[in-house]
Amino acid sequence: MELALFVVLAVIAVIAAAGVVLSKKAATGALFLLLNFCTLAGLYILLNAQFIAVAQVIIYAGAIVVLFLFVLMLLSPGKEESQDRKPYIRVFAVFLAVLMLGEVGYVAFTGVLSGTPGQYTPEKIAEVGNVQAIGQVLFTDFLLPFELASVLLLVGIVGAVVLAKREL
Amino acid sequence: MGEALIHNTIWFILLFPLLGVLINGFFGYRLGKRVVGVVGPAAVGLAFLAACGMFIGVVQSHHAVVSTLYSWITVGDFDVSLALRADPLSSLMALVVSGVGFLIHVYSVGYMAEDERFTRFFTQLNLFAFSMLLLVLGNNFLVMFVGWELVGLCSYLLIGFWFERDAPADAGKKAFLVTRIGDFGFALGVMLIFTTFRTLDFEQVFERAPELLPVGSTIATAITLLLFMGAVGKSAQIPLYVWLPDAMEGPTPVSALIHAATMVTAGVYMVARTHVLFELAPLSMSVVAWIGVVTAFFAASMALVQNDLKRILAYSTISQLGYMFVGVGVGAYAAGIFHLTTHAFFKALLFLGAGSVMHALSGELNIQKMGGLKDKIRWTYWTFLVGALALSGFPFFSGFFSKDEILWKAYENAGLWLWLVGIVTAFMTAFYSFRAVFVPFWGQSRLDKKIAHHVHESPQVMIVPLVILAVLAFLGGYMGLPHFLGGSAVEGFLSPVFAAEEGAHVAEAGAHAAGVGLEVTFMGISVVVALAGIGLAYFMYVARPTVPVALAKGLGPLYTLLFNKYYVDELYMAVVVNPLKGLAGWLARVFDARGIDGLVNGIAAFFGWSGQTTRKVQTGSVRSYALSILLGVVVLVGYFVLR
Amino acid sequence: MNISSLNLTAIAPQIIIIITALVVLLAELFTGRKSLLAYLSLLGIIVAAIASWYIWNGTEQRLFAVPMFQTMAVADGYSLFLNLVFLVTAALSVLASINYLVRERINHGEYYALLLLATGGMMLMGSATDLMTVFLALEILSISLYVLAGFNRADLKSGESALKYFLLGAFASGFLLYGIALIYGATGTTNLAAIVDFLKGTGPMRGTYLFIGLGLLLVGFSFKIALVPFHMWTPDVYEGAPTSVTAFMSVGAKAAGFAALGRLLLYAFPTLLGDWVWALAVLSVLTMTLGNLTALAQTNVKRMLAYSSIAHAGYILIGLIAANEAGMAGVLFYLLAYAFMNVGAFAVVIAVGREGEPNLELSDYAGLGSRQPLLAAAMAVFMFSLAGVPPLAGFFGKLYIFSAAVQAGFVALAIIGVLNSVVSAFFYLRVIVYMYMQKPIVEARPVLAPPLALAIALAVLGTIGLGLLPTPFLTLAQQSIAMLFGA
Repeated sequence: MELALFVVLAVIAVIAAAGVVLSKKAATGALFLLLNFCTLAGLYILLNAQFIAVAQVIIYAGAIVVLFLFVLMLLSPGKEESQDRKPYIRVFAVFLAVLMLGEVGYVAFTGVLSGTPGQYTPEKIAEVGNVQAIGQVLFTDFLLPFELASVLLLVGIVGAVVLAKREL
Repeated sequence: MGEALIHNTIWFILLFPLLGVLINGFFGYRLGKRVVGVVGPAAVGLAFLAACGMFIGVVQSHHAVVSTLYSWITVGDFDVSLALRADPLSSLMALVVSGVGFLIHVYSVGYMAEDERFTRFFTQLNLFAFSMLLLVLGNNFLVMFVGWELVGLCSYLLIGFWFERDAPADAGKKAFLVTRIGDFGFALGVMLIFTTFRTLDFEQVFERAPELLPVGSTIATAITLLLFMGAVGKSAQIPLYVWLPDAMEGPTPVSALIHAATMVTAGVYMVARTHVLFELAPLSMSVVAWIGVVTAFFAASMALVQNDLKRILAYSTISQLGYMFVGVGVGAYAAGIFHLTTHAFFKALLFLGAGSVMHALSGELNIQKMGGLKDKIRWTYWTFLVGALALSGFPFFSGFFSKDEILWKAYENAGLWLWLVGIVTAFMTAFYSFRAVFVPFWGQSRLDKKIAHHVHESPQVMIVPLVILAVLAFLGGYMGLPHFLGGSAVEGFLSPVFAAEEGAHVAEAGAHAAGVGLEVTFMGISVVVALAGIGLAYFMYVARPTVPVALAKGLGPLYTLLFNKYYVDELYMAVVVNPLKGLAGWLARVFDARGIDGLVNGIAAFFGWSGQTTRKVQTGSVRSYALSILLGVVVLVGYFVLR
Repeated sequence: MNISSLNLTAIAPQIIIIITALVVLLAELFTGRKSLLAYLSLLGIIVAAIASWYIWNGTEQRLFAVPMFQTMAVADGYSLFLNLVFLVTAALSVLASINYLVRERINHGEYYALLLLATGGMMLMGSATDLMTVFLALEILSISLYVLAGFNRADLKSGESALKYFLLGAFASGFLLYGIALIYGATGTTNLAAIVDFLKGTGPMRGTYLFIGLGLLLVGFSFKIALVPFHMWTPDVYEGAPTSVTAFMSVGAKAAGFAALGRLLLYAFPTLLGDWVWALAVLSVLTMTLGNLTALAQTNVKRMLAYSSIAHAGYILIGLIAANEAGMAGVLFYLLAYAFMNVGAFAVVIAVGREGEPNLELSDYAGLGSRQPLLAAAMAVFMFSLAGVPPLAGFFGKLYIFSAAVQAGFVALAIIGVLNSVVSAFFYLRVIVYMYMQKPIVEARPVLAPPLALAIALAVLGTIGLGLLPTPFLTLAQQSIAMLFGA
């Protein structure tokens, strides 16, 4: 059952990702992105990461893609004009991507995930609850990264204002 | 007593020229030419006085004295001080550099009087003297290297001093780049010394060298060959000599300074200074000697047919430097330094004399367009003649003693062949020296009418240095008389530095040490050769002026080959310079995305998926940049995956 | 876990810088004089430097690692020395910016805030000991720089450069993150100390995710420090960005990249030395050689300096490859020297420039020696130092790094390095030739605003001072790296 679900979600995720890259119309691409995010959320649930899954749907699928679509609506760009007047560049890029895939695939099939698993086994998570577990870790061990993330967001906000505001 | 004197004087040798640089550099334009013309020479003159003081100190103290200003770098086992060294070798060099340098400074006051960048000239000239003095006085390889680099820089600035014209600007660039190739070897040599000995201090290096490195070891050979590469660049030996003939595009006093006192002698000095290392590498010694003698021969042959007075002198310098390397290469260090000293006198004299001729003839340098000058500019003629006699090895002039010393030692320590090439070169030397005397100064005047009216002797301020140098060029040789005439004062003075090693060579070459009789015979041969060379020049250029033309025709190809300096410049241009230029241009086109976004396109095109291989694309495309990154990723990750 | 186990002292310099950034943002609301914000920033930088010094002195034996926040970051000699580099860079850049911003009509307070935030990010990269903090610090730094590069919104080139930098930077960050994920998969942790322990336990295992993770990590950093072939963005971005920003990021971002990379490779992955060292050696040779050779053909000074900075990354990398104490100390020394000479050179570019930055060609420097002798002399000092002419700071940096390489047995690398610096002398010298040996085309004397003059003077002082008195700084650098080598 789990395997079947995984295969279905994974196939859809890959197709959607390809759709984002290949679609000529930006709006279609955005919708493919939405689909991709949703399937990823499904995969997270399979991995017992319910919190991430919900966050994925709310933030990425909900907020970000919607924002994309708004922008697209307001700007209404036409069909993407292909800037690649050199077909061989595209062929070369595909060639490199395939090589890259081969390398990663080689490792995936031959390598072992040798890392020692941490204390948060599925049983433990079921016991304390997913969100609590994340909160616990986030506000203790990962407090510094958490705070740094807030600085990062601040930089983003200031940056957006600087680049976009009409009068500074 | 002597030590205190050294500590009291040695830093002033550097301080005075540095003060000259600062005063002229920062306030020169406000001070005016008159003051600058005093400050510049005075700075070097005072340095000369300080050098005299140090010299006396060295004579009294009998051992090397190190004066440390402060510990430059001390980190872990890396310890280098900003320290100067006073020993016979450095004090002699300091005397030559500051003494001859001072005379050239004085001469320059007259020579450059009309130049609008008078102040800048003296600032740079003082800096040049300062750098060279730093080079010869430094007590470790780092200080020496600093001086070494500064000398290169100053030569660049001064050779290209008249940068409005293309030729000097190019010559300056050429000098800088070619010597830079040598510097590259020198820097590597210093680095290798540091990693081998964990120190850069002369004394410690030389002390540890015989313990750490067996004779003939690879490291010793590598170090010495790398150091010698630096010397080849700075002292203009084959194959890096090409910058020196062009360097005469600079103002004549600069040529005199470069050829006589500073710059080119640095290489000889460096080999002599590091002779302990060279002793450990017999292979390097032979390389030094043979490069020296081959350079001496070829440079002299090129000097035979040149028509530019300064160019003749330039090739002659290269040739004479070759002799000096023969000297240090066969282990006769004192003889090499002795020749360096006498050469400094007579070559400075000859260059300043040539400058005086130029001054008289409004800049004319082609000896074919001169003739009959000896009655018009008497002082210049007579002093130039003394210089030529010294250069050609005419008996009892300085060049005679020093060159002969080298040739004799070459025979004694290294055998007949080296001597034979040397003696043939000596013949050519005598010939071209007197060609440079007879053609411009004797015979009929071939001057342009316009110039002929204005021929005038140079001012006092230029003549006096010429006379002093002429006296030195004559008497300088008596510092180093051969053994059978009472022995060499220079050799005796320098013996604390070189004695041990030189003794070894003599003992080794015992078979050749055939005594006074043979030495006198060899000296006799030298005299005959010198006289023959002068005589031939007289025959060809004074007695039968038609001979040279006929000869040039008869020996057509050889003459053309010599006249064009063996086409070495053209060869370097074709083999090194142009390909490099092409490469840089090509790289800029390929890798500077402003031109073509190249790398990726280039590789993609190389893979041949498109016929449009050479098509240019719009610039700076983010996609192709990303593709370049992806290419890097694939290669890098591929490497790590396959490890 | 309670709050007292959070060692706030250790992270004080970073906190001070970030708080200063916030204060600057707020203060802009209350003052019309923007230069006040610059001085406020400088004050924060100085206080942060004092704090770093205080931490340095407060710890015993100077071999210390004050962990903070569950070993997410440390304050050790390494991070504190790098703080010095970043703060020097930031201070000089702020000084050079004050009048430049007015001239280019982009005088907004956010500039200083972003510059400080980027500095904070750099300092965090120096002290981060967990891949999570490394990544967050890198992003703080990068996003600030993306925005700063596009700060001149009226200038199309500036916007183009920001967009390029952003797109490619995001691309590279993706690889970095992927690498971190794979390393986490292989070791079960993102913490460097834990990775060390893990590798001690297992030894390097062939064919695991660890290697590909390390490779991808290198990609991410190679982009930041602009190694060939991850360098293509550099010339466009450096040329397009406002010059003061170029000065700041050409040194700061590079130093931050080296800071994190050095700690990662030498502290966490020394057991894999045999694997990464050859990859880096190839990258270093490519970077030096292509950087220098391409710089030869440039006639635009800003672009020439961009290629020169690529080449310098190649030199510095040699110190990392040597992987010994001398090499790492050399890297730190070089970064400090580079901060002075490169920011100084860009400051001169600012001084020569005019509104809209038309004066960037070599010919605009013609006759500077007679038009503005002191400015030309300063530029000559920077050029000589960059070319590695003794006795200036750049020479000693190269000397230490190259001899460390010889010591470690990378003789060929040292030779290529020296050969490259021979080649580089040509294009640095060309600037000097134009300044002193060409007739001026325009007679205008560049006007030097006092803060800019101060920045240039300080940079000259640093460049000459590090050359004449290198000992204290090199000693400091050597003490700083002790922890990396587990002393």
